[in-house]
Amino acid sequence: MEPLVRLRDVGRRYAMDHTDVVALDDISLEIQRGEFLAVAGPSGSGKSTLLHLIGCVDRPTSGSIHIQGADITKLDAAALAGLRRSKIGFVFQTFNLIPVLTAFENVEFPLLLQKETAAERRRRVLEALESVGLSNRAYHRPDLLSGGERQRVAVARAIVHRPALVLADEATANLDTHNATQLIELMRQLNRDLGVTFLFSTHDQRLLDRADRVVWLCDGRLSGAPYLAGELGLPVAAGKAIAAHSPGFRSSAS
Amino acid sequence: MTKFLLLAFRNVFRNRRRTLMTLIVVAGGVAALLLSGGFFAFLFRNLRENTIRNGLGHLQIYNASYFARDEKHVLDNGLDDVRRLQSSVQGAAHVRGTAARVEFNGLVSNGDKSSPFLATAVDPEAEQRMGFELRITAGRDLKSEPPGASTNQALIAQGLAHTMHVGPGDGLTLLAVTADGALNGIDVNIVGLYTTGIEEQDQRQLRLTLQDAQRLLQSNRVTKLVVGLDATDHTDAVYSALLDKFKSEKRDIAIRKWIDLATFYNQVHTLFSGIFAFTGVLVFFMVVMSSANTLMMAMFERIREIGTMLAMGTPRAWITGLFVMEGVVTGALGAGLGVVLGGVAGALFNSANVKLPPPPTSNTPLLFHVLQVPALTVGASLLVIATLALASITPAMRAARLRIVESLAHI
Repeated sequence: MEPLVRLRDVGRRYAMDHTDVVALDDISLEIQRGEFLAVAGPSGSGKSTLLHLIGCVDRPTSGSIHIQGADITKLDAAALAGLRRSKIGFVFQTFNLIPVLTAFENVEFPLLLQKETAAERRRRVLEALESVGLSNRAYHRPDLLSGGERQRVAVARAIVHRPALVLADEATANLDTHNATQLIELMRQLNRDLGVTFLFSTHDQRLLDRADRVVWLCDGRLSGAPYLAGELGLPVAAGKAIAAHSPGFRSSAS
Repeated sequence: MTKFLLLAFRNVFRNRRRTLMTLIVVAGGVAALLLSGGFFAFLFRNLRENTIRNGLGHLQIYNASYFARDEKHVLDNGLDDVRRLQSSVQGAAHVRGTAARVEFNGLVSNGDKSSPFLATAVDPEAEQRMGFELRITAGRDLKSEPPGASTNQALIAQGLAHTMHVGPGDGLTLLAVTADGALNGIDVNIVGLYTTGIEEQDQRQLRLTLQDAQRLLQSNRVTKLVVGLDATDHTDAVYSALLDKFKSEKRDIAIRKWIDLATFYNQVHTLFSGIFAFTGVLVFFMVVMSSANTLMMAMFERIREIGTMLAMGTPRAWITGLFVMEGVVTGALGAGLGVVLGGVAGALFNSANVKLPPPPTSNTPLLFHVLQVPALTVGASLLVIATLALASITPAMRAARLRIVESLAHI
């Protein structure tokens, strides 16, 4: 079966002050439909860059990325926007809700872009808010919601248009333990119930524990868990234990 | 569309204090345009109606040769059989009346002193019937006499009266060259003084009856036939109707509309329209300068939000449209506020009966009255809305061109 996402030798370099900075180097990765996949690694390892590339908001400087079989490196900006509209949902670390819109309107936004009818939008927004347990907060603006509620609205916004892939960049980083745990469980449940593929970057061990698979990055390359354990301040043994739960990555320890 | 309009509306009020300041500037600009434009419209209307009522009429009918060649002698290009022409014109719709006129010049003398004059000979009854009003400053207006009778009345402009040291009840001698080229003179009694409101004209003008003028000039012709209508707005329609009528009757007649003859009105109109256009340009720049900065700040404050919208697949054209719409909403709100502000200020000025000093070449104080002109209200509103839309283009383009990754990382 064809993977949902396939990266082949993907690299991303930035020109900065007359020098090339390598953000990602020679990344090859496949993400299967329905996976709940984590990208882990220290700060600056390229997690966000990887998500940006898969999320079609950035372009690789080398290699190819296929989403549902289509090579997105060959698509123009308008086609990429269309792809993001229909196939991808985003959850951000800082929630990124539109502050002047209510929770309902924020969740409705992707459906407006898809030009759904008002009745269909209403039905799907209420359904999405119900699925994240925020039906009773639908008409509150973000500033009247707690951090956990805002992130759940963001999750509802990410899934309302039934994307194939949801990208969550450090989605639990700004949440307390209780809200972070709730959010992790929520995303896991949506992954199971709706079959949506989740790809998230995280430092959060609780989230890593719940992942089907963990992809480790270090200095822009897929890397081994023990090294990363050291980088994360964990004992090497912990890294090896993590590696045991992270099949399919290229590990220097294995 | 409705949702995006709602989003634009809410975005406008994110920073209420800043928006309020922008709205005050925009509303001030609109109010300034409405006050100045309303005052100019009042000036134009009064000047137009005064010009028409002071004797210009709405239409003037001439012998076609009047404009084709110069006269060797007075009334060479005059109209014959004016009574038949009058009855023909008076049958047309919206025609309130007609008045024949003879215009000529000559010398006026009081025995000791003489001065050149410009005379207008009129049928006083016809002039009054058509509502042509003279500003009589002393004595009375001319009175009609039976055809053929010699009335020997003259109404003299106050500047000329001052020059000739005469007033009502005094006599003067008028000398002019007749239609045959001979010199002729008649004695007239001054029955009153008047003013045109323009000093230069007051130095030269006088009026007498048609009979006396025709006796002086030895001709039954008239220079022109002045046509008064029931409303100035009907001028074009009556003009066309009369033109068709004369064409079908194969009459060698030329018709001129008041606007083609009102040189002073046109000069004033051009001058004040220029001043008003300059006011419009000032308002345009005032609004652009104040709002462009505000709109740009609003864009910079929302970089991450714009990045999020772009990441979700929002077309860049929608982002541009959103910012332009915010400009339009600000412009519309400012215009609405400005219309109210201008209306209230105009009403206050009108009730205060403010008078301005007489303009150059006039001796009458100017009333500062502001007319409510719907076209001006719409025009001024559209101007600021378009200006705000224009001012929002730069921030809109910058917003639409943002790189998503950098925008998402923006703090």
